[in-house]
Amino acid sequence: MSTILEVKDLSKQYSKVLAADNVSFSIDEGEIFALIGPNGAGKTTTIRMISTLIKPTSGDAIVNGYSINDKPEKVRESITYLPDEAGAYKNMTGYNYLKFMANIFTNDKDKAETYVKRAVEMCGLGDRLNEKIASYSRGMIRKLLLSRAVMTYPKLAILDEPTSGLDVINALEIRKIIKDLANKGMSFLISSHNMLEIEFVSDRVGIISKGKLLVVGKTEELKQRYNVANLEEVFERVVLEHEVY
Amino acid sequence: MKFINLLKKELRELINAQMIIGLVVSMSLLVLIGGIMGDAIEDAVSNSGDVYICDQDNTEFTKRVIENLNAMGYNVNEKSVTKEDSVEILEELNINSLIIIPKGFTEGILKNNAASELEYISRIKSTSAMASLGDGSTSAIESIKSIISNLLMQEGYGLSEADITVLENPVNLKEVTVVDKKSANVSASTIIGMASTQGMIVPIVIFILVMFTSQMIISTISTEKIDKTLETLLSAPVSRLSVLGAKMLAAAIVALINAVAYMIAFSSYMSGMLGSTLDTTAVIGEALTMSDILKELGLKLTAGGYILLGLQMFMTIMIALSVSLILGAMATDAKSAQTLVMPIMIFAMIPYMISLFMDVNSMSNIVKIFVWLIPFTHTFTAINNIMFGNWPVFWGGLAYQFVFFIVCMYFALKLFTSDKIFTISLNLGQKMKLKKVKKG
Repeated sequence: MSTILEVKDLSKQYSKVLAADNVSFSIDEGEIFALIGPNGAGKTTTIRMISTLIKPTSGDAIVNGYSINDKPEKVRESITYLPDEAGAYKNMTGYNYLKFMANIFTNDKDKAETYVKRAVEMCGLGDRLNEKIASYSRGMIRKLLLSRAVMTYPKLAILDEPTSGLDVINALEIRKIIKDLANKGMSFLISSHNMLEIEFVSDRVGIISKGKLLVVGKTEELKQRYNVANLEEVFERVVLEHEVY
Repeated sequence: MKFINLLKKELRELINAQMIIGLVVSMSLLVLIGGIMGDAIEDAVSNSGDVYICDQDNTEFTKRVIENLNAMGYNVNEKSVTKEDSVEILEELNINSLIIIPKGFTEGILKNNAASELEYISRIKSTSAMASLGDGSTSAIESIKSIISNLLMQEGYGLSEADITVLENPVNLKEVTVVDKKSANVSASTIIGMASTQGMIVPIVIFILVMFTSQMIISTISTEKIDKTLETLLSAPVSRLSVLGAKMLAAAIVALINAVAYMIAFSSYMSGMLGSTLDTTAVIGEALTMSDILKELGLKLTAGGYILLGLQMFMTIMIALSVSLILGAMATDAKSAQTLVMPIMIFAMIPYMISLFMDVNSMSNIVKIFVWLIPFTHTFTAINNIMFGNWPVFWGGLAYQFVFFIVCMYFALKLFTSDKIFTISLNLGQKMKLKKVKKG
């Protein structure tokens, strides 16, 4: 399996805060990697750097063979990013939003049509796609945005808190879409502070706290290593361990 | 292709029902007000010869006075009154003014050789500028005095009418007003009155335009930032320059539509206001329309003048837009986005108020420089600069505005191409709350 993302010592220093401190990890093709940690741990900063939205203070990340520092425009061709609690253009219909975004990713009309068709099938919103987004529920918007994020079949889909604020049914549907696409070879970088949920969806997790990536591994391995029942307890043990030493 | 896609999206966002309704309503209002005021002036001018007189003396002398008044072109309506109280008299006759020639008026003048009392009752209904128009009684009283003097001189001293005319008016005042290098036979006060009606509405239009377009772009940018659609766009394979360029171009197109639409509505308003014929007492010589006089003096905006004014408005809107781009990026929520329009409002309000009450060019140098540094000032003063040919001030102002716009765009571009677009925020309310909490 080839490596889609390789993060090498990424750091981001804001005026007084070191939001990311030498973060390193990698994601293989078809793998779902989850960055977990509490609010303000540095998940979004790391994700924004990989998405080329903000520049790292030091370090680099190689996405599909391209450096985020040297070839950000090439990186953007290989990724899609779904921000945490993102909205969409409320005056647009769901269908027009998908069409607009498809035309942002490609200049080829046929390709754009394929993207839209794929997203329409995936989101399952049916006729509601002809209504304005302003009338959508939170779950509907999230499904629309997720289908937008994966309609181009990117090499790497970066999803920040993909199920935050959603009810159980909607969260389950979204997790299912992610799993199905990963089985088809798409790689995912997911962030969440809901560690129990991440257990069900991710292949590997990285626990991040105060900007430092403390530990990386498969969920089952980590549970065994720390002899605990779930990821939440793994997180507690990891944080305590790093505070002691 | 991607840029066109972005531009279409921005235009769809900006040209919405709210914007179209706002534009149509304000344009219609401007045209309507122009029409209403034009009709009101026309009515007032046509009614200005109506005079109501109650001749209680009813002598040969007073009859001759009224005959002479009619001969001078006044439409004299004779009335009789039964009441004594002034309010009741006007109510009884259902008029707004009445000249009463009291009993014994003739006797007082002819026998006692003393000034007799003439009673004039008038009702004030409003303090508006239009309220004083359309009442011919004031000038009729002056005419009555003149008629009586003539009659006395003719009968008492046997002077001919020609002699009396010379005695009454030993000097004929010919008022000429010069504007730049053009002149017209009209009093300066008349011109100032006319020109101010033209200059009055422009600052209002500019103020509305600046506020409207600023709010529009601040709301668009802040919504994109708050909803994180901007993050989605900027992580897609499209350059940040295209995203910013599409936003600016769309806003410029909307601004241009607004500027042109307002200019058309404004010219319609002005033609309504200036179409009426001037009172012959205001203009020496032939009766002209206000429009003719202003045109003769170069004070009426020509097609070129409207284009220059439109250009100034466009430049001001572009500055408001570029500043709004930066301010909109600082919003953290919908409430702070609303507050962020305040700096633009303050800097638009200063020249707006000044242009309504005084001439910037005649202020002290320090104040003048301070006011000129506010880029919006040059548009608020543009109409005067165009009308009075202050071309160095006009073009200098336009050049300053252009430089200001480029500087703002440079900072907007810097902001959009750096991390700051996601990290910058200005939430004064929250900062104050934090300070209070810390103190507590």
